[in-house]
Amino acid sequence: MSQGLVTGGWNFVIAAYGITAAVLIIYGVTLVTRLREAKSRAAEER
Amino acid sequence: MNKRVVPGIVLLAIGAYFGFVVTLATFNGVAGLGFGIPTGIQAAIAATCAVLGALYFLTIDDVGDSTAPAAWLAGAGVVCFAIGSYIGLFVAPPEQYMGEVQRIMYVHVPSAWCALLAMTIAFASAILFLLRTDWKWDARMEGSIEVGVVLAFLLCCQGAIWAKPTWGVWWDWDPRLTTTAVLLFAFLGILALRRFVDDPVKRGIWSAVATIIAYVDVPIVYFSVRWWNSLHQQQSNPGTVSRQFWLPLRANAFGILFLMVAFIMLRARISALRLKTELAPPPLAEAQLGEAV
Repeated sequence: MSQGLVTGGWNFVIAAYGITAAVLIIYGVTLVTRLREAKSRAAEER
Repeated sequence: MNKRVVPGIVLLAIGAYFGFVVTLATFNGVAGLGFGIPTGIQAAIAATCAVLGALYFLTIDDVGDSTAPAAWLAGAGVVCFAIGSYIGLFVAPPEQYMGEVQRIMYVHVPSAWCALLAMTIAFASAILFLLRTDWKWDARMEGSIEVGVVLAFLLCCQGAIWAKPTWGVWWDWDPRLTTTAVLLFAFLGILALRRFVDDPVKRGIWSAVATIIAYVDVPIVYFSVRWWNSLHQQQSNPGTVSRQFWLPLRANAFGILFLMVAFIMLRARISALRLKTELAPPPLAEAQLGEAV
């Protein structure tokens, strides 16, 4: 930071976008996996 | 096409019209598409229609077998998020004081809106479950709590990454940050409570009551920056944000909103499948079968 201005900082931007994309993708994938498991478990118990 | 989806599509189209078409037209010097409505009201119409449209899809979802509506919403969410992130990273100019770091706003603010919205859906589902004792609302409550926790966690991570270059610290026990952390852990606690209670009736009632109590923190999070002297800036509006920042912010807000609703629909389906097996009558034991014969 110089004279009240933030300079640079692309690494922070990349980190924020990266963690957002990673969390959304990983959570979406776990949901699909858990849904498949729940469906197959429900079908077995039928 | 199922006729039930038409109101949802109309609402989303109105939201997209006021959120993007009018804004793009104004940028390109085309006037008159906004019907003379002030830009602040246009933004409010866009946000309201987008939220109502997405929530409409959630309410018509019968927690049945088809995952098509969730898949369509998730697909639309990914497209909006990709476009918004591209504009936010490569097209929008850096902010005057925060420079490139301000680009974090395009993911941080939509995550905050959607986290609070997910908690609000959980609150409404909890009330509807207690009033109607319909298990569909219990499943939606669990889904929206979990998605709200994921978004609140994301919000805290993005906030910490933004805080370091601007405030000089990763974390501060500032009113906004503290109340957000309390919100995250309160709803995480409700998920833990649901995990440890086997009886579905007790689990549903206890977690609904806990959700209603925990929701008290949501307005506190929202108003914390006005009530107390906070490091965190106050809420912005279209009048205080440069026009060049509108498009990426709105595209990402639409994207994360659609993803949030799609995730809640899928997560509610997982809860509904578990409930179906828990609430099904137990199979007759062999001895009982013998007596019956």
